[in-house]
Amino acid sequence: MMGHVDQLASTINFLTLGQEASHAFPIAQAIDEMKWAGWILWLPILSMLFCGVCWILRVRGKAPAWATVFLLGSSFFITVALFMNYSAPVTIHLFDWINIHWAGGSLVANFSLYVDKLTLLWMLFVTGLGTLIALYASEYMEADLGVGYSRFFAGISFFLFAMSCLVMGDNLVMLYLGWEGVGFASYWLIGYYYQKPSAVAAAKKAFIVNRIGDLGLALGLYLIYHYFGTVQYAELFTQLQEGVDAETAAKGGWMIKVIPFLLMLAAFGKSAQLPLYVWLPDAMEGPTPVSALIHAATMVTAGVYLLCRMFPVMQLHELALPTVAWVGGLTALLAATIGMAQYDIKRIMAYSTISQLGYMFMGIGLLTTFGAAYHVFTHAFFKAVLFLTCGAIMHGFAGQLDLRKVSGLRHMKGWKITSYTMLYACLCLIGFPLISSGFYSKDLIMAQAFITRGPGFTALGMIAILTALLTAYYTFRVWFRVCAGETKYEMGDEHHDDHGGVEHHPHAPGPVINFVLVAICVGAVASIFLGGWAESMVNQSSAQIIDHGEHLVGFWGDPHRWMPLVASSVGLLGLAIAWWFHLANRKAADSLRALLLSNPLTRWLPTAMENKWYVDEIYHALIRAPLWGVGVLLYMIDRYLVDMLLVDGIGRLPRWMGRAFQPLQNGVLQSYAISMAGGVGLVVMLILYMPKLLAWLGGAS
Amino acid sequence: MADKLWFLVPELILFAGVVVVSIMGLSPRKGVRDSLPLITCIFLGMAFAVIPALYSGERAEAHMEGAALLFPYLGKFAKMVVCLIGIGLVMISTGLIDRKYEHAVQTGRATFDPIRATRGEYFSFFLLSLIGVMLCCSANDLIWLFLSLELTSLPTYIMVAMSRSSRKAQEAAVKYFFLGAMSAAMFLFGFALLYGATGTIVLSEMRTAFAEQVATGGINAIGIFGMILAVLGVSFKVVAAPMHFYAPDVYEGAAVPVTAFLAFVPKTAGFIALMLLLGTMGWADHGGPGTTGLPAPVFSTLWLVAVITMTLGNIGALLQRSVKRMLAYSSIAHTGYMLIGIIAGPGLGLNAVLFYLLVYGIMNTGAFAVLAALERGGQEIETVEDLAGLRLKHPGMAAVLSICAGSLLGLPPLLGFWGKLYLFMAGVQAGQIQLVVIAGLNSAISAWYYLWLVTLPIMAKPSPQAETIVRSPSMWARVMGAIAAILIILLPVFSSRLVDATQEATKGYQGTIDIGRKFVDSGVLSPRSTNGVSRDGTQQPH
Repeated sequence: MMGHVDQLASTINFLTLGQEASHAFPIAQAIDEMKWAGWILWLPILSMLFCGVCWILRVRGKAPAWATVFLLGSSFFITVALFMNYSAPVTIHLFDWINIHWAGGSLVANFSLYVDKLTLLWMLFVTGLGTLIALYASEYMEADLGVGYSRFFAGISFFLFAMSCLVMGDNLVMLYLGWEGVGFASYWLIGYYYQKPSAVAAAKKAFIVNRIGDLGLALGLYLIYHYFGTVQYAELFTQLQEGVDAETAAKGGWMIKVIPFLLMLAAFGKSAQLPLYVWLPDAMEGPTPVSALIHAATMVTAGVYLLCRMFPVMQLHELALPTVAWVGGLTALLAATIGMAQYDIKRIMAYSTISQLGYMFMGIGLLTTFGAAYHVFTHAFFKAVLFLTCGAIMHGFAGQLDLRKVSGLRHMKGWKITSYTMLYACLCLIGFPLISSGFYSKDLIMAQAFITRGPGFTALGMIAILTALLTAYYTFRVWFRVCAGETKYEMGDEHHDDHGGVEHHPHAPGPVINFVLVAICVGAVASIFLGGWAESMVNQSSAQIIDHGEHLVGFWGDPHRWMPLVASSVGLLGLAIAWWFHLANRKAADSLRALLLSNPLTRWLPTAMENKWYVDEIYHALIRAPLWGVGVLLYMIDRYLVDMLLVDGIGRLPRWMGRAFQPLQNGVLQSYAISMAGGVGLVVMLILYMPKLLAWLGGAS
Repeated sequence: MADKLWFLVPELILFAGVVVVSIMGLSPRKGVRDSLPLITCIFLGMAFAVIPALYSGERAEAHMEGAALLFPYLGKFAKMVVCLIGIGLVMISTGLIDRKYEHAVQTGRATFDPIRATRGEYFSFFLLSLIGVMLCCSANDLIWLFLSLELTSLPTYIMVAMSRSSRKAQEAAVKYFFLGAMSAAMFLFGFALLYGATGTIVLSEMRTAFAEQVATGGINAIGIFGMILAVLGVSFKVVAAPMHFYAPDVYEGAAVPVTAFLAFVPKTAGFIALMLLLGTMGWADHGGPGTTGLPAPVFSTLWLVAVITMTLGNIGALLQRSVKRMLAYSSIAHTGYMLIGIIAGPGLGLNAVLFYLLVYGIMNTGAFAVLAALERGGQEIETVEDLAGLRLKHPGMAAVLSICAGSLLGLPPLLGFWGKLYLFMAGVQAGQIQLVVIAGLNSAISAWYYLWLVTLPIMAKPSPQAETIVRSPSMWARVMGAIAAILIILLPVFSSRLVDATQEATKGYQGTIDIGRKFVDSGVLSPRSTNGVSRDGTQQPH
């Protein structure tokens, strides 16, 4: 029998040896204090309202930026205070939202906060990085002062509100609200330059691709409510800890086992995994701070959060987590290969995000939620730095993003901080031994592939190592090209109105941008030492996995011991290749490419990689074109069948009927009176003489 | 009597307002006459502020016992809603009455003559009608109920006539008056039969009598026939089939603010009356499994009325080009939806009806506020096409209209969605799946014309007529529109609080059957014969 009590509760066991996703994590208790934590949500909303007022009043100063930074910063400090006051998981009730009870059921989704360590871990970097990025944007967006400045900061504030709502909500409806809010905010901000067709297209793409994932979340939410009768985490987790009872399981059948796959779809959409990753590279059409926000703190981490939060639910089907692992691994590899062949530095960073997110999902699937969450945490910092430095370059070189056209940045005046913070972030991304945060978090995931037993997990580990090699190559390809080597540059073609024309000289980032870069780098360094802390954070939440202490014997018996060595040698190898092709001997890269292109057998490789494996084109052919065809067909039906035949028909029908019923609605008082009296008479006659008909109609006995 | 008076304090305050306003309206000073809407609002605000105090505390409970109301707490919610929506309706009426005359006085083309000034009268009738609705909530016998229903309606006949100087308004008022009188005759006949069936006019005693009849074999035919007639008569107030014929003509004939008034105030009174009337027979479970438990003929009547009402309303609205007629028909359709809640009964059903009254009041007032805020050459906006491309010249009003129409349609997450959700949930809860399916189909039909109102102002290119639309002189209609739009967006966040309030409103209602059984079992109820129905049911007509 499917869905037997114990079987469902412990399906995970056959995957693992010595480790088991535990159902014994502490569940939040409702408390009636610490209501002030609600301000974490309200302050961003306040900030949005303030910016909205500024927008209406057409404020020309930087007031919206300072207000946003101040309020988001306060939100961060409240998060810190909440963290300091934290002792056990709690739910904090703010106010009733949806709260309906009836005999035998209820639908309760209040505005309440679910505060456990997972929430806190996420909120600390969401609000912290959000504040710093807003600070960065205050300088970055200067060119738009008085034009879109207020609109931009209102969007940032709303983004932060939606993300906080998503992370802090104590029920799936609030998560859904935040989920949709984040999607809307990304549309708002990616399409910030709404006069630019490419930005509008990117915004639409992000929104529509996300909708596919959202459908999964909505359906998953319905099913969870249907089978468990609640959308509140605390109640849901209690039920899952007790084991899915036989009745629910029997009622659920295969449907209950679909839930993890639906949630997975949602996570893949929001976190840009196969097959729904295509929106993320285009999302860089928005202003750079937005990209940093999307890639580092908000939006893409939401999918990882969802799976961590819903980890007990993910175990409803034994193949759900391995699927997550494999999708993550393949995405990581695919995105890395695409990243190798791009020339736009922001785009390379976008693909690296997809690739790193792939690692995180691999971590969840491989049952190291700690590794995944820790990687989210470290990645948030170094990816923020990478995007912000890319933004500084783009800002300084009038929109120039082609890595072939800017070189030797570190020798230029005023660009030192940018170059070296970027270097550190690159080192983190490739997992450079000992001094980089990525080294610690990524190795956890890669080593786990060789510990957890599951379908093809060893191969997955190999893929992860190969991806690490590629990552090191494409990351340092950027740095060696842009920051090292001889100094030369070409300006981009973006006009800066404040100088009255095209700028011919790069202008170095100002003090605010430099401060933010250094501050986030410090955060990245600090995150190295927070590994143990992060582990304790994750292990007291719904993403808890208990290590039963499998005996891993010897150096080669314990992947956690040999993986750092393997990973760092692979990373250094990639770095060396990048050094050879892109610093020591830059012509070699071009000649290698020419060589590959000239040989008909290998020509496909660089072509396909540069064209992103034609995924967009394949989607176009497989999905968009057929949909478009259906659309045209439906339009034709609507235009000619519905509009011309039915609507005009219905339009004429009342006129025909009108003649028949003219006496009824003719404006003459007497006939109205007769109609009414007749109507009453008719009803009474029907009731008295045709009770059977009415009983049949209304279901009355 | 003191018990009853206790709950009439808000009505007394408003009555003081009636006197003050009608006198001030005669003042030769323009400033005093212009302050009338404000004075009206102040009295409404005072009444609003007093209400919560009347329904809490030990004294209130003692009075409640003495007053023996069917729904002891109903007044608190309903009266507060009436006051609030009343303030909104005052806001959109500002500057309507005597506009031409006042203009003439101001420019010196006429001298002020108290005989010709009608603004004071308008606002006193306005308040009187609201007093009628409030009295409905406190009704504990049929006479009271009848008088308060008529007090609600009578002033509205005059308001329709005085709202515009055109002959259309006069015609509408006359039609409304005669048909209203006919409906009053009908439910009065029903009341008389109910008295005949139970031997009492006091609602709580009627409940006991009906309970006794049920316990002894069933409610007699006179009672059921009386109830059906009463329900059909009251369906004039709520604008339900078959008594809906007047609505499109009257709504179109009256000026916009009065139309908004008609679409809310008598409807509220009617729904409260329905709750009280049906409450005497009760929704207790003597209808068999899967039903709501009203006596089968009454249930069937309501069911039929609900289905016909929502369908006719929506199909009628589909065919309209005139915005006012469209909203009039949509008002009929909304009555149909609300009848689902009435059918579902206590618990979710009545709560949903009360909730929807508030929701409908807000979105209806908001939509009419837009029409009141705009004009063309001193005339009201007539057709839907006039609203095309409104956003270019009046972006705020275009947004408000879109939001209100979206809410009337029930687009999530706007307020109207939650209202409909509760109604439909109540229907499902009561096992009325077919009814909810029909209502759902109707909602889909209504999307057709509501989406016009949502999209035309925002997305369409302005028509030549639309170019000449200007703001009407009073700013308050615009303010009300903005408030309604904000409430429509914000209130869903607090919908749970509102639902709690509606739960409180229906608290204290006791199902008939339980009382009946209790009395019978404990021997309190003597086996005497009541109106031809003996306890053993030998003379039972069924």
